[in-house]
Amino acid sequence: MMRDFATVWSERGLLFSGLGNTVLLSVLAGVAALLLGALLSMLLMSPKRMLLLPAKALVDLARCTPFLLFAYIVYYGLPSLGLQFDAWSAGLFALTAYHAAYMAEILRAAWAAQPRAPIEAGVAFGYSGLGLFRRIVLPPLALSSAPVLGNQLIQIIKDSAFLTIITLPELTHAVSSIQSRHFIPFAAFLTAVLLYWALCLVVEAGVAAVGRLAEARR
Amino acid sequence: MPTRIPLLSVQSLRKSYGNLRVLDDISFTVAPGETVCLLGPSGSGKSTLLRCINWLERPDSGRILIDSQPIGVTSGGVVMNDQQLAQVRTRIGMVFQQLALWPHLTVLQNVMEAPVHVQRRPRDDVRAEAEALLTRVGLFDKRDVFPARLSGGQKQRVGIARALAMKPALMLFDEPTSALDPELVGEVLAVMRDLAAEGMTMLVVTHEMAFAREAAHRVVFMDHGVVVETGSPEAFFNAPSTERGRQFLQRFSNGRAALAA
Amino acid sequence: MTHADVLSIFSGALTTLLLSIAGIALGLPFGLGLALARWAKVPLLNPVVAVYVSLLRATPLITLVLLIFFALPTAGVSVGPVTAGLIALVLNTAAFNCEVWRAALLDLPRDQIEAAQSVGMGRVLRFRRIVLPQVWRTALPGLINEMSQLVKLTPVLAVVGVVDITRAAVRIGAQTYEPLPPFLVALAIYIPIVYALVSVQRWVERRTVQREATA
Repeated sequence: MMRDFATVWSERGLLFSGLGNTVLLSVLAGVAALLLGALLSMLLMSPKRMLLLPAKALVDLARCTPFLLFAYIVYYGLPSLGLQFDAWSAGLFALTAYHAAYMAEILRAAWAAQPRAPIEAGVAFGYSGLGLFRRIVLPPLALSSAPVLGNQLIQIIKDSAFLTIITLPELTHAVSSIQSRHFIPFAAFLTAVLLYWALCLVVEAGVAAVGRLAEARR
Repeated sequence: MPTRIPLLSVQSLRKSYGNLRVLDDISFTVAPGETVCLLGPSGSGKSTLLRCINWLERPDSGRILIDSQPIGVTSGGVVMNDQQLAQVRTRIGMVFQQLALWPHLTVLQNVMEAPVHVQRRPRDDVRAEAEALLTRVGLFDKRDVFPARLSGGQKQRVGIARALAMKPALMLFDEPTSALDPELVGEVLAVMRDLAAEGMTMLVVTHEMAFAREAAHRVVFMDHGVVVETGSPEAFFNAPSTERGRQFLQRFSNGRAALAA
Repeated sequence: MTHADVLSIFSGALTTLLLSIAGIALGLPFGLGLALARWAKVPLLNPVVAVYVSLLRATPLITLVLLIFFALPTAGVSVGPVTAGLIALVLNTAAFNCEVWRAALLDLPRDQIEAAQSVGMGRVLRFRRIVLPQVWRTALPGLINEMSQLVKLTPVLAVVGVVDITRAAVRIGAQTYEPLPPFLVALAIYIPIVYALVSVQRWVERRTVQREATA
């Protein structure tokens, strides 16, 4: 058993490169999905039905679609429409687009739950536009939505593992390769599991830290 | 009161929600240093009127002048954009019924926030003034506490300090004690009384009749969107000149009597 | 896509459906058991379950399936793709269900249990007649949400060779060199199933709000 783990360690170059790809992909997709989701959530709150209904349909559609299928379609299916992606772009696009829909719904709900009075006070005191958003609207919103956004980031990390099927060299792909060459399935996959767990604990620690900031102000 | 250019001039204000006339041709003025109390039953339009003055709500027609400068619509008749509105609003201080302190900032930060970031005054000067204001409302020792930890009365006193920090020409109070537990009302009214005595120009929407009686220079009685009566507190409370004014005071004193009974 | 192709996708759909139902059916009681172990603070089990849940909620299902499918045979247990897939599904969903049940259990006011204790009810009776009848209602929206998540994860089984919707679609696409149509058919099957579950969840949540409003 220990020999197996030593073998895994001997392949640490591949392992860490896979881990690095997972982290990079997840962080990029997370940030992009958050920004895209913020824009989409504004459509979700629009009083104009022409903007609201398509946005709502899109978000509901994403919520009902298996991510693996979506990734397949983006990488294998879209080329027949003339859109060719390489594995990295396809993976990043799929993760971002899919999770932007979830982020939009999260942000919409978080915004709806915000009390209006402090924001009105901001307007009354002469805040407007970007200043109002940056200093008055955003901080309480960020504090209250941090736990849910953190959860969504963990989802993104887990969904990134699906991208092994489109040959993206992330963590699961790396350990699959290691195990198939050395026949050490248990050690290899367990290593991956432990690394995913570590990533998750890091995100949860971040959320807990924000939670303490929020708690002091609650 | 010697005649001076009014600090606040409301001219022919009208506002309707659908078929409901909330403000029906309202006109009045407030002189510099005057404390005016807006009284009236619920639904009379008092709060709407107050919120129109700093354009948190838009009247359908009419004019509002602060120190002879218009708000909402420029003298050229063009509707003001956000930035222009923001400019004018820095001259008006507002104290809210729902307190509305910024939860992510400490008490001191709440008071310093707008002077530093909107009026762009030097931070050190603002800090000194903020601390002085907090001392004045009796909350200097709570300056590094977050609003969530304060009582309603304490929060509202911070709200008053926060508004004063902007050095406004006019202070608007929108039922400042209505959302507070009864035993906390007194501490807020005490601060407001001192403010009035020092010569701040104040427009106060309130149900606190004792305060109106003692601290106001003038009361304006509204009902169903119309100014029914205006006059000195002594005149209104002792001998209202209109039937509706009489009925309002009757109901109010009956309510008090019922509570006391 | 030929008639036979569509048929094979639908047969794959049946496999998906059966595996989903099996996964849900096994995962619900397993998750409840885990939650009870933590709620009752059973000495040895409590920390073990806590670690298990934390680990399983952080592990991507595809990694878990690969682990089980490739590693179990080396321990002497030979598993086919369906078994490996089912085990992975159950292990995964039980961890999430555990948290849903736990939240519902913690939500139950203490005095409910104290009242049952004071009339002399034993542990099992208390659970059967007082705790569970109330707790399942609180847990329901979260459990249905987890069911819809499970259905969305079933394509993973295709990776180890289970001939479900996804694998059928992939095979047809590889044969016809037109991958898009079979994928879209697959999507057209998944979306209504998940949508039905999500709608049920929303309906349950609305009903709960109504009940609490009139209570």
